Amino acid sequence: MNGADALDLQLLIRRVARRDRTAFAALYRRTAPQLFAVAVRILQQQADAEDVLQECFVAVWNQAKTYDAQKGAVMTWLISILRNRAIDRRRRRAHAPDWLGSEDELETLLAGSGDDADRGAARAELLACLDELEERPRRAILLAYAYGYTHEELAQQLSAPMGTIKSWIRRALERLKRCLE
Amino acid sequence: MKYDDPRLRELLAGEYVLGVMPPLVKARFERLMAGDAALTREVAAWADRFSPLDTTAEAVAPPSHVWRAIEQRIGAPLATRARSNAIDSILGSLGFWRGVAAASAMLAAALLVFVLLRPAEPPEAAVLAVLTDSSGTPAFIATRGQHSDQIDVAPIRTQTLAAQRSFELWAIAGGAPKPLGLVPPAIGKRLQVPASQLGSGDVVLAISLEPENGSPRAEPTGPVLFQGKVLGTLR
Repeated sequence: MNGADALDLQLLIRRVARRDRTAFAALYRRTAPQLFAVAVRILQQQADAEDVLQECFVAVWNQAKTYDAQKGAVMTWLISILRNRAIDRRRRRAHAPDWLGSEDELETLLAGSGDDADRGAARAELLACLDELEERPRRAILLAYAYGYTHEELAQQLSAPMGTIKSWIRRALERLKRCLE
Repeated sequence: MKYDDPRLRELLAGEYVLGVMPPLVKARFERLMAGDAALTREVAAWADRFSPLDTTAEAVAPPSHVWRAIEQRIGAPLATRARSNAIDSILGSLGFWRGVAAASAMLAAALLVFVLLRPAEPPEAAVLAVLTDSSGTPAFIATRGQHSDQIDVAPIRTQTLAAQRSFELWAIAGGAPKPLGLVPPAIGKRLQVPASQLGSGDVVLAISLEPENGSPRAEPTGPVLFQGKVLGTLR
Protein backbone atom coordinates (compact mmCIF):
# COMPACT_ATOMS: atom_id res chain seq x y z
CA MET A 1 0.00 0.00 0.00
CA ASN A 2 1.56 3.29 -1.03
CA GLY A 3 1.14 6.79 0.35
CA ALA A 4 -1.75 7.75 -1.95
CA ASP A 5 -3.63 4.58 -1.02
CA ALA A 6 -3.12 5.27 2.67
CA LEU A 7 -4.55 8.77 2.20
CA ASP A 8 -7.53 7.27 0.36
CA LEU A 9 -8.22 4.99 3.30
CA GLN A 10 -8.08 7.99 5.64
CA LEU A 11 -10.75 9.72 3.56
CA LEU A 12 -12.86 6.57 3.45
CA ILE A 13 -12.72 6.02 7.20
CA ARG A 14 -13.77 9.62 7.83
CA ARG A 15 -16.79 9.09 5.59
CA VAL A 16 -17.57 5.80 7.34
CA ALA A 17 -17.54 7.71 10.66
CA ARG A 18 -20.33 9.83 9.16
CA ARG A 19 -22.35 6.66 8.39
CA ASP A 20 -21.60 6.69 4.67
CA ARG A 21 -22.47 3.17 3.48
CA THR A 22 -20.90 3.64 0.05
CA ALA A 23 -17.59 4.51 1.67
CA PHE A 24 -17.98 1.50 3.99
CA ALA A 25 -18.49 -0.82 1.00
CA ALA A 26 -15.44 0.70 -0.69
CA LEU A 27 -13.37 0.26 2.48
CA TYR A 28 -14.45 -3.38 2.62
CA ARG A 29 -13.54 -4.00 -1.02
CA ARG A 30 -10.15 -2.42 -0.53
CA THR A 31 -9.13 -4.01 2.76
CA ALA A 32 -11.14 -7.22 3.33
CA PRO A 33 -8.88 -9.53 1.24
CA GLN A 34 -5.79 -8.60 3.29
CA LEU A 35 -7.67 -8.78 6.60
CA PHE A 36 -9.22 -12.11 5.66
CA ALA A 37 -5.78 -13.53 4.86
CA VAL A 38 -4.50 -12.50 8.30
CA ALA A 39 -7.56 -14.11 9.97
CA VAL A 40 -7.13 -17.35 8.03
CA ARG A 41 -3.45 -17.47 8.99
CA ILE A 42 -4.23 -17.16 12.69
CA LEU A 43 -7.31 -19.37 12.76
CA GLN A 44 -6.26 -21.93 10.12
CA GLN A 45 -9.94 -22.41 9.43
CA GLN A 46 -12.20 -20.75 6.89
CA ALA A 47 -15.54 -20.53 8.75
CA ASP A 48 -14.03 -19.00 11.89
CA ALA A 49 -12.04 -16.55 9.79
CA GLU A 50 -15.25 -15.49 8.02
CA ASP A 51 -16.97 -14.91 11.38
CA VAL A 52 -14.08 -12.87 12.67
CA LEU A 53 -13.93 -10.77 9.51
CA GLN A 54 -17.62 -10.08 9.91
CA GLU A 55 -17.22 -9.07 13.58
CA CYS A 56 -14.28 -6.89 12.62
CA PHE A 57 -16.21 -4.87 10.04
CA VAL A 58 -19.26 -4.50 12.27
CA ALA A 59 -16.87 -3.09 14.90
CA VAL A 60 -15.28 -0.80 12.31
CA TRP A 61 -18.71 0.54 11.34
CA ASN A 62 -19.49 1.26 15.00
CA GLN A 63 -16.07 2.59 16.00
CA ALA A 64 -14.94 4.47 12.90
CA LYS A 65 -15.32 7.78 14.72
CA THR A 66 -12.77 6.70 17.31
CA TYR A 67 -10.10 6.24 14.63
CA ASP A 68 -7.40 8.85 15.09
CA ALA A 69 -4.84 9.41 12.34
CA GLN A 70 -2.30 10.32 15.05
CA LYS A 71 -2.37 6.73 16.22
CA GLY A 72 -1.27 5.21 12.96
CA ALA A 73 -2.29 4.09 9.49
CA VAL A 74 -5.87 2.99 8.83
CA MET A 75 -4.71 -0.45 7.69
CA THR A 76 -2.75 -0.96 10.92
CA TRP A 77 -5.80 0.07 12.93
CA LEU A 78 -8.00 -2.38 11.00
CA ILE A 79 -5.47 -5.17 11.45
CA SER A 80 -5.36 -4.50 15.21
CA ILE A 81 -9.13 -4.85 15.47
CA LEU A 82 -9.06 -8.03 13.42
CA ARG A 83 -6.08 -9.68 15.15
CA ASN A 84 -7.52 -8.93 18.57
CA ARG A 85 -10.71 -10.79 17.69
CA ALA A 86 -8.95 -13.59 15.81
CA ILE A 87 -6.65 -14.26 18.75
CA ASP A 88 -9.57 -14.22 21.22
CA ARG A 89 -11.42 -16.68 19.02
CA ARG A 90 -8.38 -18.93 18.80
CA ARG A 91 -8.04 -18.92 22.61
CA ARG A 92 -11.69 -19.85 23.13
CA ARG A 93 -11.38 -23.02 21.12
CA ALA A 94 -11.14 -26.18 23.17
CA HIS A 95 -8.16 -27.27 21.11
CA ALA A 96 -6.03 -24.83 19.25
CA PRO A 97 -5.47 -25.98 15.68
CA ASP A 98 -2.21 -27.66 14.93
CA TRP A 99 -0.08 -25.44 12.88
CA LEU A 100 0.49 -27.39 9.72
CA GLY A 101 3.22 -25.23 8.29
CA SER A 102 6.71 -26.50 7.74
CA GLU A 103 9.82 -25.07 9.34
CA ASP A 104 10.48 -23.30 6.06
CA GLU A 105 7.14 -21.57 6.16
CA LEU A 106 8.38 -19.07 8.71
CA GLU A 107 11.16 -18.16 6.35
CA THR A 108 8.77 -17.67 3.44
CA LEU A 109 6.72 -15.52 5.77
CA LEU A 110 9.74 -13.30 5.97
CA ALA A 111 10.45 -13.46 2.27
CA GLY A 112 6.97 -12.27 1.16
CA SER A 113 7.33 -9.85 -1.72
CA GLY A 114 6.88 -6.14 -1.05
CA ASP A 115 4.29 -4.68 -3.41
CA ASP A 116 5.66 -1.17 -3.31
CA ALA A 117 8.54 0.92 -2.14
CA ASP A 118 6.99 2.33 1.09
CA ARG A 119 6.01 -1.05 2.44
CA GLY A 120 9.14 -2.65 1.13
CA ALA A 121 11.42 -0.32 3.06
CA ALA A 122 9.56 -0.82 6.35
CA ARG A 123 9.57 -4.57 5.84
CA ALA A 124 13.24 -4.71 4.96
CA GLU A 125 14.01 -2.79 8.15
CA LEU A 126 11.89 -5.09 10.32
CA LEU A 127 13.36 -8.18 8.69
CA ALA A 128 16.90 -6.94 9.21
CA CYS A 129 16.14 -6.41 12.90
CA LEU A 130 14.44 -9.80 13.23
CA ASP A 131 17.53 -11.31 11.64
CA GLU A 132 19.66 -9.98 14.46
CA LEU A 133 17.71 -12.03 16.99
CA GLU A 134 18.75 -15.53 17.89
CA GLU A 135 16.99 -18.34 16.06
CA ARG A 136 14.47 -19.52 18.66
CA PRO A 137 13.47 -16.11 20.07
CA ARG A 138 12.93 -14.95 16.48
CA ARG A 139 10.69 -17.91 15.77
CA ALA A 140 8.78 -17.26 19.00
CA ILE A 141 8.05 -13.70 17.87
CA LEU A 142 6.93 -14.79 14.40
CA LEU A 143 4.79 -17.69 15.60
CA ALA A 144 3.09 -15.42 18.13
CA TYR A 145 2.44 -12.52 15.77
CA ALA A 146 1.54 -14.36 12.58
CA TYR A 147 -0.07 -17.52 13.96
CA GLY A 148 -1.38 -16.41 17.35
CA TYR A 149 0.65 -18.88 19.44
CA THR A 150 0.25 -18.75 23.22
CA HIS A 151 3.18 -18.99 25.64
CA GLU A 152 2.26 -22.65 26.24
CA GLU A 153 2.16 -23.49 22.55
CA LEU A 154 5.46 -21.73 22.01
CA ALA A 155 7.00 -23.70 24.86
CA GLN A 156 5.87 -26.91 23.20
CA GLN A 157 6.82 -25.95 19.66
CA LEU A 158 10.24 -24.61 20.60
CA SER A 159 10.97 -27.19 23.32
CA ALA A 160 11.73 -24.67 26.05
CA PRO A 161 10.20 -23.98 29.48
CA MET A 162 7.50 -21.29 29.71
CA GLY A 163 9.73 -19.02 31.77
CA THR A 164 12.40 -19.16 29.08
CA ILE A 165 9.85 -18.37 26.37
CA LYS A 166 8.63 -15.33 28.30
CA SER A 167 12.10 -13.94 28.78
CA TRP A 168 13.05 -14.65 25.14
CA ILE A 169 10.05 -12.63 24.04
CA ARG A 170 10.76 -9.74 26.37
CA ARG A 171 14.40 -9.56 25.36
CA ALA A 172 13.47 -9.87 21.70
CA LEU A 173 10.96 -7.01 22.04
CA GLU A 174 13.57 -4.79 23.66
CA ARG A 175 16.13 -5.55 20.97
CA LEU A 176 13.62 -5.01 18.16
CA LYS A 177 12.58 -1.65 19.58
CA ARG A 178 16.19 -0.49 19.86
CA CYS A 179 17.03 -1.79 16.40
CA LEU A 180 14.02 -0.08 14.77
CA GLU A 181 14.60 3.30 16.39
CA MET B 1 2.42 -5.17 38.92
CA LYS B 2 3.83 -1.67 38.67
CA TYR B 3 2.42 0.00 35.62
CA ASP B 4 4.41 3.20 35.96
CA ASP B 5 7.76 1.68 35.02
CA PRO B 6 8.36 2.93 31.44
CA ARG B 7 10.32 -0.16 30.46
CA LEU B 8 7.60 -2.47 31.71
CA ARG B 9 4.88 -0.43 30.01
CA GLU B 10 6.70 -0.77 26.74
CA LEU B 11 7.14 -4.52 27.12
CA LEU B 12 3.51 -5.06 28.08
CA ALA B 13 2.41 -3.04 25.04
CA GLY B 14 4.61 -5.24 22.86
CA GLU B 15 3.28 -8.45 24.41
CA TYR B 16 -0.26 -7.16 23.95
CA VAL B 17 0.31 -6.57 20.23
CA LEU B 18 2.03 -9.94 19.81
CA GLY B 19 -1.06 -11.51 21.34
CA VAL B 20 0.67 -13.65 23.98
CA MET B 21 -1.14 -12.28 27.04
CA PRO B 22 -3.40 -14.77 28.83
CA PRO B 23 -7.07 -13.66 28.71
CA LEU B 24 -7.24 -12.21 32.25
CA VAL B 25 -4.01 -10.25 31.90
CA LYS B 26 -5.16 -9.03 28.50
CA ALA B 27 -8.50 -7.82 29.91
CA ARG B 28 -6.71 -6.00 32.72
CA PHE B 29 -4.30 -4.41 30.28
CA GLU B 30 -7.18 -3.22 28.07
CA ARG B 31 -8.88 -1.58 31.06
CA LEU B 32 -5.65 0.15 31.89
CA MET B 33 -5.16 1.27 28.30
CA ALA B 34 -8.67 2.76 28.13
CA GLY B 35 -7.68 5.48 30.60
CA ASP B 36 -4.08 5.91 29.52
CA ALA B 37 -3.47 7.69 26.22
CA ALA B 38 0.30 7.23 26.44
CA LEU B 39 -0.10 3.47 26.76
CA THR B 40 -2.48 3.47 23.79
CA ARG B 41 0.27 5.21 21.80
CA GLU B 42 2.82 2.57 22.85
CA VAL B 43 0.45 -0.13 21.60
CA ALA B 44 -0.10 1.70 18.30
CA ALA B 45 3.67 2.04 17.89
CA TRP B 46 4.15 -1.72 18.31
CA ALA B 47 1.31 -2.45 15.89
CA ASP B 48 3.05 -0.22 13.38
CA ARG B 49 6.44 -1.91 13.92
CA PHE B 50 4.99 -5.37 13.26
CA SER B 51 2.63 -4.31 10.45
CA PRO B 52 5.02 -5.29 7.60
CA LEU B 53 4.35 -8.92 8.60
CA ASP B 54 0.63 -8.54 7.83
CA THR B 55 1.13 -8.26 4.11
CA THR B 56 3.09 -11.50 4.04
CA ALA B 57 -0.26 -13.29 4.28
CA GLU B 58 -1.34 -13.44 0.65
CA ALA B 59 -4.58 -11.48 0.17
CA VAL B 60 -7.59 -13.67 -0.52
CA ALA B 61 -11.10 -12.43 -1.31
CA PRO B 62 -13.61 -13.53 1.34
CA PRO B 63 -16.81 -15.24 0.09
CA SER B 64 -19.62 -12.84 -0.75
CA HIS B 65 -21.94 -14.00 2.03
CA VAL B 66 -19.60 -12.37 4.56
CA TRP B 67 -20.39 -8.93 3.14
CA ARG B 68 -24.11 -9.75 3.03
CA ALA B 69 -23.99 -10.69 6.71
CA ILE B 70 -22.16 -7.47 7.58
CA GLU B 71 -24.76 -5.43 5.70
CA GLN B 72 -27.52 -7.13 7.65
CA ARG B 73 -25.82 -6.57 10.98
CA ILE B 74 -25.30 -2.86 10.43
CA GLY B 75 -28.98 -2.55 9.65
CA ALA B 76 -28.87 -2.05 5.92
CA PRO B 77 -32.34 -2.50 4.47
CA LEU B 78 -32.81 -5.78 2.65
CA ALA B 79 -32.52 -5.13 -1.05
CA THR B 80 -36.00 -5.49 -2.45
CA ARG B 81 -35.80 -6.49 -6.03
CA ALA B 82 -38.66 -7.17 -8.35
CA ARG B 83 -38.93 -10.86 -9.12
CA SER B 84 -38.16 -10.39 -12.79
CA ASN B 85 -34.93 -8.60 -11.93
CA ALA B 86 -33.77 -11.29 -9.56
CA ILE B 87 -34.63 -14.13 -11.90
CA ASP B 88 -33.42 -12.43 -15.05
CA SER B 89 -30.16 -11.66 -13.39
CA ILE B 90 -29.72 -15.32 -12.49
CA LEU B 91 -30.65 -16.80 -15.82
CA GLY B 92 -29.29 -14.06 -18.00
CA SER B 93 -25.91 -13.51 -16.50
CA LEU B 94 -22.85 -14.99 -18.06
CA GLY B 95 -21.55 -15.32 -14.53
CA PHE B 96 -24.33 -17.72 -13.69
CA TRP B 97 -23.55 -20.08 -16.54
CA ARG B 98 -19.89 -19.86 -15.68
CA GLY B 99 -20.99 -20.73 -12.17
CA VAL B 100 -22.77 -23.79 -13.49
CA ALA B 101 -19.58 -24.88 -15.23
CA ALA B 102 -17.58 -24.27 -12.07
CA ALA B 103 -20.19 -26.14 -10.05
CA SER B 104 -19.90 -29.14 -12.32
CA ALA B 105 -16.15 -29.04 -11.91
CA MET B 106 -16.49 -28.92 -8.16
CA LEU B 107 -19.16 -31.58 -8.04
CA ALA B 108 -16.78 -34.42 -7.34
CA ALA B 109 -15.20 -32.55 -4.43
CA ALA B 110 -18.56 -31.50 -3.04
CA LEU B 111 -19.91 -35.00 -3.34
CA LEU B 112 -16.94 -36.40 -1.50
CA VAL B 113 -17.44 -33.91 1.33
CA PHE B 114 -21.11 -34.76 1.35
CA VAL B 115 -20.53 -38.49 1.51
CA LEU B 116 -18.01 -38.09 4.30
CA LEU B 117 -20.29 -35.86 6.33
CA ARG B 118 -23.52 -37.75 5.79
CA PRO B 119 -22.76 -41.42 6.33
CA ALA B 120 -26.44 -42.16 7.07
CA GLU B 121 -27.39 -41.35 3.48
CA PRO B 122 -27.90 -44.36 1.21
CA PRO B 123 -24.80 -44.71 -0.97
CA GLU B 124 -26.81 -44.37 -4.17
CA ALA B 125 -27.95 -40.84 -3.25
CA ALA B 126 -27.70 -38.85 -6.48
CA VAL B 127 -26.54 -35.27 -6.55
CA LEU B 128 -29.14 -33.17 -8.34
CA ALA B 129 -27.68 -29.72 -7.93
CA VAL B 130 -24.82 -27.87 -6.29
CA LEU B 131 -25.78 -24.36 -5.22
CA THR B 132 -22.87 -21.97 -5.26
CA ASP B 133 -22.39 -18.44 -4.01
CA SER B 134 -21.50 -15.59 -6.33
CA SER B 135 -17.84 -16.56 -6.24
CA GLY B 136 -18.67 -20.09 -7.42
CA THR B 137 -17.98 -21.72 -4.06
CA PRO B 138 -20.37 -24.64 -3.42
CA ALA B 139 -22.59 -23.89 -0.41
CA PHE B 140 -25.64 -26.18 -0.57
CA ILE B 141 -26.26 -29.50 -2.22
CA ALA B 142 -29.50 -31.07 -3.43
CA THR B 143 -29.62 -34.87 -3.52
CA ARG B 144 -32.09 -37.62 -4.16
CA GLY B 145 -31.91 -41.30 -3.31
CA GLN B 146 -32.86 -43.67 -6.15
CA HIS B 147 -35.82 -45.09 -4.28
CA SER B 148 -37.02 -41.90 -2.74
CA ASP B 149 -39.31 -39.29 -4.13
CA GLN B 150 -37.91 -36.80 -1.64
CA ILE B 151 -35.19 -34.34 -2.38
CA ASP B 152 -32.82 -33.23 0.36
CA VAL B 153 -31.29 -29.77 0.32
CA ALA B 154 -28.51 -29.32 2.86
CA PRO B 155 -25.62 -26.94 3.52
CA ILE B 156 -22.15 -28.28 2.74
CA ARG B 157 -20.87 -26.22 5.64
CA THR B 158 -22.57 -24.01 8.19
CA GLN B 159 -23.59 -20.66 6.74
CA THR B 160 -23.71 -17.41 8.67
CA LEU B 161 -27.28 -16.17 9.03
CA ALA B 162 -28.33 -13.15 11.07
CA ALA B 163 -31.12 -13.31 13.64
CA GLN B 164 -34.60 -12.98 12.19
CA ARG B 165 -33.47 -13.94 8.74
CA SER B 166 -33.92 -17.16 6.82
CA PHE B 167 -32.75 -18.87 3.66
CA GLU B 168 -35.65 -19.69 1.35
CA LEU B 169 -35.37 -22.20 -1.47
CA TRP B 170 -37.01 -21.57 -4.84
CA ALA B 171 -37.40 -23.67 -7.95
CA ILE B 172 -37.28 -21.66 -11.13
CA ALA B 173 -38.44 -23.49 -14.23
CA GLY B 174 -39.02 -20.99 -16.97
CA GLY B 175 -41.83 -18.98 -15.41
CA ALA B 176 -42.62 -17.98 -11.86
CA PRO B 177 -40.37 -19.11 -9.01
CA LYS B 178 -41.95 -21.72 -6.76
CA PRO B 179 -41.22 -21.50 -3.01
CA LEU B 180 -39.98 -24.84 -1.64
CA GLY B 181 -39.41 -23.98 2.01
CA LEU B 182 -36.73 -22.71 4.38
CA VAL B 183 -33.28 -24.27 4.23
CA PRO B 184 -31.45 -24.61 7.56
CA PRO B 185 -28.05 -22.86 7.64
CA ALA B 186 -26.37 -25.40 9.95
CA ILE B 187 -24.50 -28.39 8.66
CA GLY B 188 -26.18 -31.71 9.46
CA LYS B 189 -29.66 -30.25 8.92
CA ARG B 190 -31.65 -30.39 5.71
CA LEU B 191 -34.85 -29.40 3.99
CA GLN B 192 -36.91 -32.21 2.47
CA VAL B 193 -38.99 -31.44 -0.60
CA PRO B 194 -41.22 -33.79 -2.62
CA ALA B 195 -39.44 -34.35 -5.95
CA SER B 196 -42.62 -33.55 -7.81
CA GLN B 197 -42.42 -29.96 -6.54
CA LEU B 198 -39.37 -29.20 -8.60
CA GLY B 199 -41.10 -29.00 -11.96
CA SER B 200 -39.69 -30.18 -15.25
CA GLY B 201 -37.45 -28.96 -17.99
CA ASP B 202 -34.51 -26.73 -17.16
CA VAL B 203 -34.82 -26.08 -13.46
CA VAL B 204 -32.67 -23.76 -11.37
CA LEU B 205 -32.64 -23.93 -7.59
CA ALA B 206 -32.03 -20.60 -5.87
CA ILE B 207 -31.77 -19.57 -2.23
CA SER B 208 -32.72 -16.04 -1.26
CA LEU B 209 -32.27 -14.15 1.98
CA GLU B 210 -35.66 -13.53 3.58
CA PRO B 211 -37.31 -12.46 6.84
CA GLU B 212 -37.50 -15.05 9.63
CA ASN B 213 -40.50 -16.97 8.31
CA GLY B 214 -39.74 -16.70 4.65
CA SER B 215 -40.78 -14.28 1.95
CA PRO B 216 -44.12 -12.58 2.70
CA ARG B 217 -44.81 -12.71 -1.02
CA ALA B 218 -44.93 -15.39 -3.69
CA GLU B 219 -41.46 -14.39 -4.89
CA PRO B 220 -38.05 -13.66 -3.39
CA THR B 221 -37.89 -10.29 -1.61
CA GLY B 222 -34.22 -10.42 -0.65
CA PRO B 223 -31.07 -10.98 -2.66
CA VAL B 224 -30.46 -14.39 -4.22
CA LEU B 225 -27.33 -15.65 -2.46
CA PHE B 226 -26.92 -19.17 -3.83
CA GLN B 227 -28.02 -20.87 -7.00
CA GLY B 228 -27.47 -23.99 -9.02
CA LYS B 229 -28.89 -25.68 -12.09
CA VAL B 230 -30.52 -29.05 -11.58
CA LEU B 231 -28.27 -31.48 -13.39
CA GLY B 232 -29.76 -34.39 -15.31
CA THR B 233 -33.45 -35.20 -15.50
CA LEU B 234 -35.85 -35.69 -12.67
CA ARG B 235 -38.18 -37.98 -14.48
